[in-house]
Amino acid sequence: MPGDHRRIRGPEESQPPQLYAADEDEPPAARDPTRLRPVYARAGLLSQAKGSAYLEAGGTKVLCAVSGPRQAEGGERGSGPAGAGGEAPAALRGRLLCDFRRAPFSGRRRRAPPGGGEERELALALQEALEPAVRLGRYPRAQLEVSALLLEDGGSALAAALTAAALALADAGIEMYDLVVGCGLSLAPGPVPTWLLDPTRLEEERAAAGLTVALMPVLNQVAGLLGSGEGGQTESWAEALRLGLEGCQRLYPVLQQCLVRAARRRSAASPS
Amino acid sequence: MASVALSEAEKVYIVHGVQEDLRVDGRSCEDYRSVEVETDVVSNTSGSARVKLGHTDILVGVKAEMGTPKLEKPSEGYLEFFVDCSANATPEFEGRGGDDLGTEIANTLYRIFNNKSSVDLKSLCISPREHCWVLYVDVLLLECGGNLFDAISIAVKAALFNTRIPRVRVLEDEEGSKDIELSDDPYDCIRLSVENVPCIVTLCKIGYRHVVDATLQEEACSLASLLVSVTSKGVVTCMRKVGKGSLDPESIFEMMETSKRVGKVLHTSLQSILHKEESLGPKRQKVGFLG
Repeated sequence: MPGDHRRIRGPEESQPPQLYAADEDEPPAARDPTRLRPVYARAGLLSQAKGSAYLEAGGTKVLCAVSGPRQAEGGERGSGPAGAGGEAPAALRGRLLCDFRRAPFSGRRRRAPPGGGEERELALALQEALEPAVRLGRYPRAQLEVSALLLEDGGSALAAALTAAALALADAGIEMYDLVVGCGLSLAPGPVPTWLLDPTRLEEERAAAGLTVALMPVLNQVAGLLGSGEGGQTESWAEALRLGLEGCQRLYPVLQQCLVRAARRRSAASPS
Repeated sequence: MASVALSEAEKVYIVHGVQEDLRVDGRSCEDYRSVEVETDVVSNTSGSARVKLGHTDILVGVKAEMGTPKLEKPSEGYLEFFVDCSANATPEFEGRGGDDLGTEIANTLYRIFNNKSSVDLKSLCISPREHCWVLYVDVLLLECGGNLFDAISIAVKAALFNTRIPRVRVLEDEEGSKDIELSDDPYDCIRLSVENVPCIVTLCKIGYRHVVDATLQEEACSLASLLVSVTSKGVVTCMRKVGKGSLDPESIFEMMETSKRVGKVLHTSLQSILHKEESLGPKRQKVGFLG
């Protein structure tokens, strides 16, 4: 029998029981600060999207899909001098629209889908990191939609989303200057603060500061950078940046293999 | 952000000038435009400040209200930021146009204050789990002339310095019911310590060099900028790359060093100005909006 939702009023808010549990004070086990978790990456798995990629690193699982290029909304823009290599003038360049979503069950507390400010900020970070790599001048008056869905947050979620988005764009056949590889870092507090590469969720929660770096490995250009917390002086952040760039370079061969396999799979599937 | 249409010749002129360490208005690459700061401009707030940096005009109001602490941090108060890009600043902000930029700036402000040392949140607690002070920091963008983030962070620091939170006591009587008592003396208030409040320094990459405090024209020539939030002691609390271009790792290291240098100078001059203004007392001549 359906309950009478008008008269029976349940509690307005709900909390997970862990909030009231005693603090578990076991610090995460000591580990090599430069270790990267093994990564599983696969491109070309969604049939409805132009390009897609799934990335798993430790407990972090991200699924990314790319659609487009399709006609951009928005008014007429003026013309200007054309860029080099037959690209459209600056006002007619294509647009990249990024969307970052967390599944409600991805973190410790349930979060309803319109996640508010944090998801918008991460979507903007995705866009700023992917724009240097994509040749938007070759898609005038068009827009590309990239949507990243975080299925489970096991640490360095933004970095995994960046890498998955770049793989999805490459899988969709969008013209790019280079792939974008993302890497997360966090500063473990303690008597001697050390920067840890590719932190797990537990390490991220106890961290004093966090940093996500996006690198274009062949061009050796930093495409994106987002960090905050009590990281200390600039030397400490510079050391973290170097560690992150090195981690991105180490991750690159895995992604190359993933794209080659996806291309082979596609050519085997369509006999032409 | 407000955009300005520049011809190719103007862009080349600006870029070549910057390579020689000479900008269009005669500054060097690490010079700020002259900044005007005035606090206590709005009477209905707990603290307010107005900052004018070249053509950029920012007004910040801080209101302290009592609320319930967050569940994860029961003995701390918190800050809430809201940024409104008014349509006066540029016609592009009419209607909902300024919302995206407003959310971006608000998220950056949340990020730079998201650590234990910037503001002492424990002093904002009244009684754990029940009452705490919530500081609503509202930023109004009146005019956009380039370098928004720096001007906004200076204004927020000045407004927090000016904030006066009334002293309250929680009285508990025999039955256990609590009552909140506000002090009778209107001048009996808590002041916040802004020693560790960071300021944002935006460095725009133009050609092979980077500039501090870019005007709208210089921002149009720059493809990528680095935003660093640095405190007076040189501690960096936030770093972010902004823009659609990419940055060389070597230039990022140089930009971080520059931001530390420039940040220290900015903080010392801001602190001295704020203390000087405070020492003039309530009888000082207020300039307000017509000066």
